[in-house]
Amino acid sequence: MQVTLDHVTHTYQAGSPFQSVAIKDVSMTVREGEFLALIGHTGSGKSTLAQHINGLLKPTEGRVLLDGKDIHEKGFNKKEVRQKVGLVFQYPEHQLFEETVAKDVAFGPKNLGLSDGEIKERVREALAKVGLDPAAMEGRSPFELSGGQMRRVAMAGVLAMRPQILVLDEPAAGLDPQSREDMLQLIFGLHSQGTTVVMISHSMDDVARFATRAVVMAEGAIAMEGTPEEIFSHAEALEKMGLDVPSVCKLGMRLRELHVPCPEEMFREDQAFETLLKLWKGEDAHGAQ
Amino acid sequence: MAEPIISVEHVSFAYEEDAPLAVSDVSLTVERGGFHAILGQNGSGKSTLAKLINGLYLPGKGRVTVCGLDTQEDKNTWEIRRRAGMVFQNPDNQLVTTVVREDVAFGLENIGVPTEEMPARIEKALADVGMLAFAERAPHTLSGGQKQRVAIAGVLAMQPEAIIFDESTAMLDPRGRTEVLEAVKRLNREQGITVLWITHFMEEAVACGRVHVMHDGRIVLSGTPREIFQDAEKLRPYRLDTPPMARLAQRLRAAGMPLREGILTVEEMAKEVERLCK
Amino acid sequence: MALSNITLGQYYPTDSAVHKMDPRVKILLLIALIVAIFLAQSLLAFLPVAAYLLLAIRLSRVPVRMMIKSLKPLRLIIILTFLLNVFFLQGETPLVDLGFAVIKKEALLTAVHYSLRLVLLVLGSSLLTLTTPPIALTDGLERLLSPLRVIRFPAHEMAMMMSIALRFIPTLLEEADKIMKAQTARGADFESGNLIARAKAMVPLLVPLFVSAFRRAGDLAMAMEARCYHGGEGRTRLRVLKCEKRDYIACAVTALLIAAVVLAGLL
Repeated sequence: MQVTLDHVTHTYQAGSPFQSVAIKDVSMTVREGEFLALIGHTGSGKSTLAQHINGLLKPTEGRVLLDGKDIHEKGFNKKEVRQKVGLVFQYPEHQLFEETVAKDVAFGPKNLGLSDGEIKERVREALAKVGLDPAAMEGRSPFELSGGQMRRVAMAGVLAMRPQILVLDEPAAGLDPQSREDMLQLIFGLHSQGTTVVMISHSMDDVARFATRAVVMAEGAIAMEGTPEEIFSHAEALEKMGLDVPSVCKLGMRLRELHVPCPEEMFREDQAFETLLKLWKGEDAHGAQ
Repeated sequence: MAEPIISVEHVSFAYEEDAPLAVSDVSLTVERGGFHAILGQNGSGKSTLAKLINGLYLPGKGRVTVCGLDTQEDKNTWEIRRRAGMVFQNPDNQLVTTVVREDVAFGLENIGVPTEEMPARIEKALADVGMLAFAERAPHTLSGGQKQRVAIAGVLAMQPEAIIFDESTAMLDPRGRTEVLEAVKRLNREQGITVLWITHFMEEAVACGRVHVMHDGRIVLSGTPREIFQDAEKLRPYRLDTPPMARLAQRLRAAGMPLREGILTVEEMAKEVERLCK
Repeated sequence: MALSNITLGQYYPTDSAVHKMDPRVKILLLIALIVAIFLAQSLLAFLPVAAYLLLAIRLSRVPVRMMIKSLKPLRLIIILTFLLNVFFLQGETPLVDLGFAVIKKEALLTAVHYSLRLVLLVLGSSLLTLTTPPIALTDGLERLLSPLRVIRFPAHEMAMMMSIALRFIPTLLEEADKIMKAQTARGADFESGNLIARAKAMVPLLVPLFVSAFRRAGDLAMAMEARCYHGGEGRTRLRVLKCEKRDYIACAVTALLIAAVVLAGLL
């Protein structure tokens, strides 16, 4: 399954004196099975873009296609999009509202009109997927959990819809290093099991580690698109846009400035480890001759 | 060591009588003009410690003094809060009024600064954090980083000797984090304002003069960033990160590359690789 | 993002003599104007009131279309007042025979009188809110009400509450928008169904909104305390309200207005 944005423009409060264009003439496709990173500043339009993927926002101009069909056409079942494309907002724990974890996670499946038995099964499955013990958690109030646990419950609430595409807006924001790593591993795990992932992220190290493809947004338009390798080989351009690059990329750039022959494709720690070792050994061997 | 501004002596604190201790037998001194970081995961007690310092909480055991004033004594409360200001985590939840200029005035009004003195102090404070151009704006039209800088200006206008930052960058994007941290570093450098920087981002702690690692309500490690970060193994039990360059250096050293000890930044790493490879 | 641009109240920012006036004086003058409007018992007596308002609008530099826009929310009530009076009031002099009803002269006059009174009232109060930022309004109210402290009326606390509410309205609106979207993404439906179904559908929006409002309130209280807030006692103010020449002139003109209205009533 894939979602295509076809020349999408979105203007907030169109026609009022406060109108502002959030994204302009954006065309892109979320391909089945990929881990797509959306990169850009706050205000670059990436959150607006993400909200078009599941039809929450309707383009002012252009079309959004789910497997080729226009989701805003009359007669298209919106619930189908909402079910197939799950959206996890920033700080999703702020949307919890039920008395118990189980009820909260059940909210989505209930809205889909599933049977009680089916709902129960999905709640258990979703809680297990986010690494929480269903038996221990189901009866608890979501408001007495720790921040990290609350976020997992909120994510389970989306996973219980069994989405094929999962869109996440900065899923690790505000978490401490260990919870952050756990969250990223969780998402990576879902991706490995076949879920298509679209992740908005500010951390280039995370993008370098997990993404199969990245789209860079700037001022409401797509500024760059490609594999992390391709994107980070334009480190200078990224820095010009005021975006960060992975720290090993920075190291590479600095080394080249110092005339150390460091190759450009180095953006993950593993690569840096091997590259630097080779550099050192090469030079060492050369020096011994 | 220079004269201590903040002094915490064997302080313990629990939120309720028989609840577990949130802060347990902590001692800490921050000297005048110092820039200290407290690093710890969520729930390590670091925010509680911050609130103990400016008298929002009072210690169950031990003593907290700010500029020699004991937080336990009622009459000191307002003087302590003026001298050791505080900036919190959520940029939306600490600005009080609808106009930036008036928000900066809020603290001044509270401590009874004469009206004639206010405009100059407000303007200087806003200029010091680079927000003077936004004086007439409404807070909700600003970015997270800008809101936090307004919050800093609000504290700064009260002419404090120290500012405690309680995870003030945790909710910001990278640009906002840089903006705020740069502003704070400048205040520390140019105006000698003592800073206690509470965070769970180790990249931020790297820039500080001294780092204290908190875990389970206790300070478990204290030292210069170099002492703290060069050994990833030491930090692992506290569920904290090490800087990427320190981690990389450690792996390379383990593989036999003779990198010097104590590498934390990209620049240090680059220089060291250059030395070894040329 | 969509809601962050909303304006607070209907303040129209520009630089004019009316904008610069002391908010306390503006509030008192509005009360005087209301008194004048109710004193005016004949259409003739409305002339000085209308002239006064026109002058004030002119001086305020608020565009006329903004003033007219301020009538819009109340247009139904104004029209209804007019129609009800025209058709249902008794009178002696028939004017027009519409077939189904006869419009009497007295009824028409009263109808015009009552609806004009409403229009003038709305224009007068809109002029106050259009030329005074909400924060100055609460400030003015606080000072006007502060003598009531002797009977324990919490003037300062009320003003502080109002200004905090003003500060947080945009923040909470934005948050409501976000929560609504998040629940919609989970299949929630806020739009269809009968009244009860819709009220029930609000629970997933309202509970998180309240939880968040309480969290914000807690945070804010702590931040205010950390900035040495301890009530109105011993507080100084950035903004000092001072009556100037223009305020005295405005008071004098208003006094003249009331005199004129009373005179018109005697004629």
